[in-house]
Amino acid sequence: MTTAIRNLTFTYPNQEHPVLADLSATFPDGSFNLLTGPSGGGKSTLLKLIAGLLPLPTGSQIILAGQALQELPATQRASQVAMLFQEPSTQFTMDTVLDELRFALENQQISAAEMPAKIAAALDFVGITSLKNRHLTHLSGGEQQKVALAVIVAMDSKVILLDEPFASIDPAARLDLLQNLVQLSQAHGKTIILADHDLSLYERWIDHLSVLEAGHLTTLSPEATQQRLAIFSAPQRQLTHVTLPDRQLPVILQGQDLGLRQGTRQLINPQDLSLFAHQITLITGPNGSGKSTLLRALVRLTDYQGTLTYDGINIQKRRRKAYARQVALMFQSASAQFLNVTVAEEIALSHKYGRQTYFTPERVDQLLAQLNLTQQRDQIIYTLSGGQQKKVQLLCMLMMAPQVLLLDEPLKGLDYDSIQAVLSILKTVQHDLQLTLIMISHQLSGLDGFVTLHLQLADCQLRYQEADQ
Amino acid sequence: MNPTIKLSLVILIAFEISFTQVWMVNLALLIVSLLLMIYAHVSFKRLLWLTAVPLFFASALVWSLKLQGSTTPHFLGVIFTRIFVYVYLGGWFSQTTQPLALARSLEQNAKLPAKFAYGFLAAFNLMPKIQAEVATIKAAALMRGQVLHIWSPQLYFKVILAAMNWSDQLAAAMTSHGFVEGAPRTYATTIPLRHRDWWLLGLSLLLVQLGLFCGLP
Repeated sequence: MTTAIRNLTFTYPNQEHPVLADLSATFPDGSFNLLTGPSGGGKSTLLKLIAGLLPLPTGSQIILAGQALQELPATQRASQVAMLFQEPSTQFTMDTVLDELRFALENQQISAAEMPAKIAAALDFVGITSLKNRHLTHLSGGEQQKVALAVIVAMDSKVILLDEPFASIDPAARLDLLQNLVQLSQAHGKTIILADHDLSLYERWIDHLSVLEAGHLTTLSPEATQQRLAIFSAPQRQLTHVTLPDRQLPVILQGQDLGLRQGTRQLINPQDLSLFAHQITLITGPNGSGKSTLLRALVRLTDYQGTLTYDGINIQKRRRKAYARQVALMFQSASAQFLNVTVAEEIALSHKYGRQTYFTPERVDQLLAQLNLTQQRDQIIYTLSGGQQKKVQLLCMLMMAPQVLLLDEPLKGLDYDSIQAVLSILKTVQHDLQLTLIMISHQLSGLDGFVTLHLQLADCQLRYQEADQ
Repeated sequence: MNPTIKLSLVILIAFEISFTQVWMVNLALLIVSLLLMIYAHVSFKRLLWLTAVPLFFASALVWSLKLQGSTTPHFLGVIFTRIFVYVYLGGWFSQTTQPLALARSLEQNAKLPAKFAYGFLAAFNLMPKIQAEVATIKAAALMRGQVLHIWSPQLYFKVILAAMNWSDQLAAAMTSHGFVEGAPRTYATTIPLRHRDWWLLGLSLLLVQLGLFCGLP
């Protein structure tokens, strides 16, 4: 028995070209398949079609572990196929971990008497028994993804689909999840299809690498697979060019006894922290350790302990409107940053209030071309793919050219070519306008030589790091 | 008390006092709801809040009606106490009922389609997220040079867009976790519907009827 796709052609309404064109593929039972390809290439669409979340076009066929998707009653679908989504927080209906697991089992008509054992086994398999009674909204992204996997384990689905599940997850949580997935495929015979742009750390795990490009899916030969994976291999992910900050460096943001809490949990112990002007600082650290919270504190979106000064003046004493133009945050979720409907309108808004002398219409056109967005100019932002939205967001924030630009996962969901384009644009603009960039990124490929300072958050403490040997 | 029965009781009483003018019954109802809240250990701060807000609005309403001069003191008393009954009854219900228990009860006891029961629950869980979203949208707009006020249409456009997006994601998540509209489900916990609940509902309504009957002119 296998999972197979036959002659799948899919076109979104109001679009001329099909995202998937006469696509056929086979995934053996118990195999671990990795799906890659450029952003906007249709990976999410393909997974949604397999999961039955999008209606299957006539003439196309999807076989799930030997059974045709069309003939499968809706009530039995979840036991055949389940999906883990890119955005950790939006895949739950209920309030607590236990209630969400119960909800899924209720849907499968498992009797109340059988539930506790199944729930305990699923939580134990993923190693999150301690989270059982926690509120889902209080969990970090990595923990939420583990809960989502536990739900799938409890439902015992035969085909498990994952749409960029590690996009905002630290290496440790990702390793845990990968080990679980391998165990599910090898010991339990589950078919796993995982879509990801970032191919690092997959070498040891996957059976097949398939590339989805221009609507077609190609499964690579072992040599081609290794070549592709080598681009993301370990040596290139080390930071060999960063230095410890020089005492001469001008400080732009200074924290005194700066501490961060989330509920009752201390994320960062009170410490003095200097952030330096005209540098590109990379902040790394485990998922859920407080990196995003730190950036939100710097733009006054969350409370903190101690004081924070910008250019010597307490940021709480600065006028909100003026400060927002000096220190701005590029949010992790791209759509949070948009105020209009089309790409052109967003760019016009940034042009109106941003650095017009530098970002001339010609330069903006050139940047759009560099980001491969020229065709999308009049498109509605919310119909763009995640990666395309991220690129528009970056351009809009760069055009504002604040003194300090904070970037929360600016490379999330971008393919290799887009990452190169984004980094080169960031470097040029940072250099020309002498901006201060402070970025969080789990994705380290291509960042060596780009960032100048490396701030690591570990054990509730932020420390500048020396170069890797 | 069973959440569905409790909700029906609150709605029926509120409906009835909307069309009758017996201030003694209103007074009795507000005292009973207040006692029930104290019995359920609702915090003093919350009680104060539940009193101060209606006090302001009820006083303002009574004052303006009095200025108009065409109303009787009896009617003013009815209006004043009626507002308190609404707030206290609502307060008693919301402070002593778990949203999840209500959703389960509506599904199991009232046979409401599961879609509505869980839709209500998901909307409830979304509340804090909406508040956080509004703050984020305002801050994000400032960073783009745009000031959004509470009356700016763009703010609402963004919030509605976010909510629509969440609702799509929620629907996909529910489907992916095996939820099928109209399909039979089992229940992890059963919400009991005891004889006692029916008796409580019947007796409470009967008492209110008696009060209203005696008090009507």
